Formats: sequence, structure tokens, C-alpha cells
Amino acid sequence: MDVFEAIKDRRSVRKYKPEPVPEDLVKKILEAAVWAPSGSNIQPWKFIVIKDKKVLDMVRKISPGYFGDAPLAILVCSDKERAYKLGGELGRDYLTVAGCAVAVQNMLLAAYASGLGTCIVKSFSSIAIKHILEIPDGIEPELLVIVGYPDQSPKPPRRRPLQEITYLDRYGEKYFEK
Amino acid sequence: MGKEKSNGDKYLFDLAVFLATSASGCVEEPHLYGPFRLIDALSRLIELPKYATCMKDDLFLAKMKSVIDEKKFLLVSDTEAFKAFLDSLVREFAKELKRRSLERR
Repeated sequence: MDVFEAIKDRRSVRKYKPEPVPEDLVKKILEAAVWAPSGSNIQPWKFIVIKDKKVLDMVRKISPGYFGDAPLAILVCSDKERAYKLGGELGRDYLTVAGCAVAVQNMLLAAYASGLGTCIVKSFSSIAIKHILEIPDGIEPELLVIVGYPDQSPKPPRRRPLQEITYLDRYGEKYFEK
Repeated sequence: MGKEKSNGDKYLFDLAVFLATSASGCVEEPHLYGPFRLIDALSRLIELPKYATCMKDDLFLAKMKSVIDEKKFLLVSDTEAFKAFLDSLVREFAKELKRRSLERR
């Protein structure tokens, strides 16, 4: 699949089929994640793959933004201690978040190219998820990625046109005339 | 009755978890997440009669649940349409409230 096709056709899926995600695809998604760039090459990410139904159920209940009954979720965490050692305050406070976000985009595209649907969830309780998944201090849950075979094909929300948001050489100088 | 009560207890607890977590999350989330969580909670509340024989099924509420579940994700695609939907929901409830109040006289 052409990467541009994956970028444009991927959707946030909120309804899933019950079929499990094959292990080789889980690995593919994670491998895509770790090939993301990261500031100072910190590679701040740590992943918790959630497959157990009871654990998934608990995570769904403390995540108001989690819709649908996907068979798999991957919690992307940032290692704040590692990031601070390698990148100081900038590393810990910004590069971790940016790095995990970029890694997640790779995950979404890899999943889409494999026929899977995904949805990023940020609306979860960090306090609750750290307790349920026994996440130690210094490791911060950043984004939850729900994965499964999609049972819907949502329409895409409108994108702001490039003409509105792109400038040449200085802010305000339109890059695209029309 | 026993199984229904335990299912009802579980449903109530799950709803309580959802509300507590939403309250905490809404402190820092975008402001429209608040209304979104409220109508999501409303949709879940409407399911309660399934678990409690003391409550009757309410056709109006069932219809509202269906509309909510269909339209709530306007939040992510069209915030103006989402706000208009919330207003229309209130209008429907107001009409029904008035109808029921007048019926009781």
C-alpha cells in the first residue's frame, strides 16, 4: 500500500468486530512505532499490549473516550526518567510527548495497511490506568491505541485547506494563491 | 431476580466509574468534552430499566438514546452541528416534559 493512501484513508474507528488481532500484526505495529524519529534519539516509548478481556474491560471503564469493544489495546507510555537523563527538562517534558505521538502515528498507519482499524484515546484516567496496569513512577501513560478489525467506515472530518494554513518565507504570505 | 440485581449492581458501578473518571478528565479536557460526557452518561442511564423491574421502559427515552448514539460523535466532525444537536435535544425534552406535565393535571 502506498503510504499516502494509508495517511488519507485511515479513520478513527469506534466499532469493532470480535476477531482477535494476529500476533504477527501486533509485532508489525510495534516495530513501526519504534522506527519513529525522536528528539535526541531518546526513544522514550514503552508499550503495554492489553489482550486479556478482563484487563481490557477495566481499562475501557476508566477511559471515557474509549468506544467500541476492540479485542486489543496498546498503551504507549513515556519513560520520563530516561528522557530526563538523555534530554534534560526539554526531553522529559516535551520530547517524550512528541516522540510518543509520532510513534503512534506510525502504529496507526501500519495497522491500517494491515487491514486493521484503530483509534487514539487520550481521555483516560492516568491515575486509574497506572493502578490497574501496575505502572511504576517515572513511566507516564501518554496515549492509548485501540486496535481491531473495523466494523464501520466513518467518513472523514473536513480538513482545513492548505491555502488557509500555509505561508511562504514569513507568516501571512500565502504559499498557495488559490 | 437475583441475576438481574447483580447485573444491575454491576451496571450501576460501571456507570459510577464512568462518571467519576469523566469528572476528573473534564478538568483539563477541551470544554465540549463536558457536554459530550454528559450525553454519553444520559445514553447509559436510559438503559437502567433493563436491570430494574421497578422501572418501566420509556419509549421517549429510548428514542432519545437512539438519537444521542447516532449524533454524539458530531463533536469530532462538526462542533457547530454538535451544539445545534444539544439544543435540539433540550427542545425535545422540553416538549415531552410539558406534554407529561399537562397530562397529569
